[in-house]
Amino acid sequence: MKTFLLGFFVAWFVLPTAVLAYFRVGFGDTQSDANPPPWETSVMQSAVHASVRRSAAGIQAPPPENIDEAMVAGGELYLNGCAGCHGAPGKLGEDHSSYPRVPQLPQVGTQYSQAEMYWIIKHGIRNTAMSAYGPFYSDKELWALTSFLRQIDRLPPGVLERIQAKKAADGATK
Amino acid sequence: MVPPGLEERSVKKFVVGFVTGSLVLAVCVLGYLRLGLANVAADAPAPESETRWMLSSVHASIRHTVPAGLKDPLPVDDARLIAGGKLYLNDCVGCHGAPGKPPSNFGATFYPPAPQLARDGTQYSEAEIYWVAKHGIRRTGMSAQGPYYSEEKLWLLAEFIHDISNLPPQVRAGIEEKAGK
Repeated sequence: MKTFLLGFFVAWFVLPTAVLAYFRVGFGDTQSDANPPPWETSVMQSAVHASVRRSAAGIQAPPPENIDEAMVAGGELYLNGCAGCHGAPGKLGEDHSSYPRVPQLPQVGTQYSQAEMYWIIKHGIRNTAMSAYGPFYSDKELWALTSFLRQIDRLPPGVLERIQAKKAADGATK
Repeated sequence: MVPPGLEERSVKKFVVGFVTGSLVLAVCVLGYLRLGLANVAADAPAPESETRWMLSSVHASIRHTVPAGLKDPLPVDDARLIAGGKLYLNDCVGCHGAPGKPPSNFGATFYPPAPQLARDGTQYSEAEIYWVAKHGIRRTGMSAQGPYYSEEKLWLLAEFIHDISNLPPQVRAGIEEKAGK
């Protein structure tokens, strides 16, 4: 039994050391324009989903004063601040080459709840190109963004036109 | 007196213990991730030891990957530094900071944070900077710029960034003049 335990704990010491050393010596891959093995991507993605779910668990979306207006306001914020990487409806984003790849939201939509999206935009996602936007958006703006994102891949008719009209009008007054 | 066969039996027990330990460790790590216990917020501070290990690992990997003998085909001169500076001002300052300006607030909201090249300079060689700009760094905000820049522009950028914290005054003036236009 003693020898068994010795082997057990030696594994707990040797493996982490070996992993740290493997990367420290430079054997890890760093280039973002090549894909890591699919199992790595899937482990990381599920870790991110699970962590976001846990972190956002206590957050409640406030009932919107006017869901329609929030969606249009959020859409304008999205076109100004997010579409560059995440893509606009009918147009791919420019950042195709960071890894993990930037989800093209107008195409793929999202499975995150509004509270989870709020959390992600505010705090960012570590070790991705998603930075924390907490310093740049008010709470109201963050929630407006989530109202838009919730339906980004299936916008009700007319919403996109209203967003574009609002963006054009605001652009003209600036 | 060691009874016959004891040594062999202990080796076996040790190996069984080692394999069991490895499996339990792997299950614990996967479980930890799968349960969402790893914090993924980009704006939460990470332990300094982790950051240091990661930055060293990235640099080690790049040293390891960049082909030996990869070299800037043209010699550096002031005109090329100014051209590289202009590219940098157009495309990199948003995250990496502009020379003579305060560091980028936006770059600080990533994890890992974007290095403030204009303020801190870099320890990377020209060839390494070229390679990073071209291929990006996985699991950071640094995307691969290879599809958007010609080889020549990548080298101009690498030359400029290599010298960014140590620019001759006439180059500084040249870049500001160009940027003003």
